[in-house]
Amino acid sequence: MCLDDQILNTYLDNELTEPWKSQVEEHLSYCQSCRTRYQNFLKISDAVKSAELTADEIQPHQDRVLSMIEKNYLSKGKSKQSFLRRTFKLSAPQLMGVAAAFVVVFVGSWAVFGHNNTTDSTILLPDVNTTIDLNNITQTRSTDNAATSKSLENYSLDEILKNLDARGYDVDIRLKSIQPLSLDKMSAEVKPIAKILDGGKEITVTSDGLAKDAEGTIVATGVLLKDGEIVASDGTVLWNAEETEIVEIN
Amino acid sequence: MEIRSGDELAFRQVYNEVFPVVMKVAYHVTYNQDVAEDICQDAFIRFYDKDMSFPSMDDAKFWLIRVVKNLSINHVKRKMRESASLEKVMRGPQSNPFKDGASELILKESTAAVRKAVSELPEIYKTVIVLREYAGLNYKEIAGVLKISESNVKVRVHRARKELEARLDREEVNVP
Repeated sequence: MCLDDQILNTYLDNELTEPWKSQVEEHLSYCQSCRTRYQNFLKISDAVKSAELTADEIQPHQDRVLSMIEKNYLSKGKSKQSFLRRTFKLSAPQLMGVAAAFVVVFVGSWAVFGHNNTTDSTILLPDVNTTIDLNNITQTRSTDNAATSKSLENYSLDEILKNLDARGYDVDIRLKSIQPLSLDKMSAEVKPIAKILDGGKEITVTSDGLAKDAEGTIVATGVLLKDGEIVASDGTVLWNAEETEIVEIN
Repeated sequence: MEIRSGDELAFRQVYNEVFPVVMKVAYHVTYNQDVAEDICQDAFIRFYDKDMSFPSMDDAKFWLIRVVKNLSINHVKRKMRESASLEKVMRGPQSNPFKDGASELILKESTAAVRKAVSELPEIYKTVIVLREYAGLNYKEIAGVLKISESNVKVRVHRARKELEARLDREEVNVP
C-alpha cells in the first residue's frame, strides 16, 4: 500500500506526528515510486521558497514605512500632543517636594553667589517660609470646560427643540434618505452589493440592506457598504475589511 | 509577554520582527512591491492606532498577517474587476510584472516563472501556500489566520502544490 500525495505533503511540512511519521519514513526508504513523488513535491516547495521576496528587496520598504509612521504617528501622536494635553496631577506632598527643590536651588545659589565673605565658616541659612499656600496654585486642564458645561450631544432632541422654541425659533425637522416603502420598487432594485466571507460562512448583503447567510437566513438588517466595510444603520461596523473579506459586487 | 500595540516600544519591537513577514505575504499575494508597501503601512497604522492588547508577539503577528492577507486579497479582487472592465474598452499588450525592473533587480528566469505560477493560483490555494512557504506558518497557525480547520489546510496545501506542479510543468521551468 503506497502513500497518497496528501500524506507526502503533510510529511514534507513536518506536520505528521508519530507513529505515522516513522511509518512514512520507513516506507520512503524502500519504495522508489513514493520517494520520487515525495522528491517532486519537495522540489516544488523549494522552488516556491526560492522565489521569495528577498531581504534586500524588503529593507527599503521597511525603512520607508517606518520613517513615515515615525513622522506622523510615533512622535506626533504620543509625545508632542500628549505634552500639550497632559494634565498635571500632583498630590500635595509632591507639590511640597517640588517647591522644596526650588527652595534648595535658591538657597544653594544664594550660598554660593550671595555673599563674598568666604572666611565666614558658619553657613547662613535665610529664613524661608516653606509652607505652601494651596490657594496660589491652580491646575488647569484642557478638558475642564467640556466636563463642566454640557455639550450639544448631552441634550436630547426634545430638549434642543424646546430650547430653540423658547428662543423663538421655528424649527422644521425632516428625515433624510428614508423613502417610503414601495414593494414593486424593492423587488425590482434589490441586488447583491457585497459578499462577506466570515470564517468560512458566506454572507450576502443586498441593496435593500439585508445580510443573509448561505441558507438565506437574515443575519442583519439595515446594513450598508461604506468604505469597504459593512456598517449598521447606527454606524457600527459589523464586518470590517480587515477581519473579513468583503467581495464587492456591483 | 503582553504586547500593547499603541505602546511605542512594543510597536517598534513588533514592527522589526513582523514587517518582513507581512511584506512577503502582501507581495506574494499582490505581486506588486509598491502596493504591498502601502498595504503593510496601512496595517501597521491600524495596529498602532487601535492600541490593542495581545497576549504574545505571535498573537500580534497573526493579527497583522490576517489584516495584510485580507487587504491584499481585496486589492487583487478589485484589480481583477477593474482590469476586466478595462479590457473591454481596450485590449493592449499586458506587461509582465514579474520581469519588470521595478526593484532594479534582474530576476532569474525561474524566480519570475514561479512567482507567476503562484500569482495565478486560485485564491484559496494561493493564501495557504503564501502563509506556509513565505510566512513560515504551520498548519495550525494557518488554520487560525484563515479561520478554517487544520484538515482543510492540509487539503489546500496539497492541492496548491499539485496545481503548482502542473503550472510549472507547462512553463517548462527547470526548478533548482
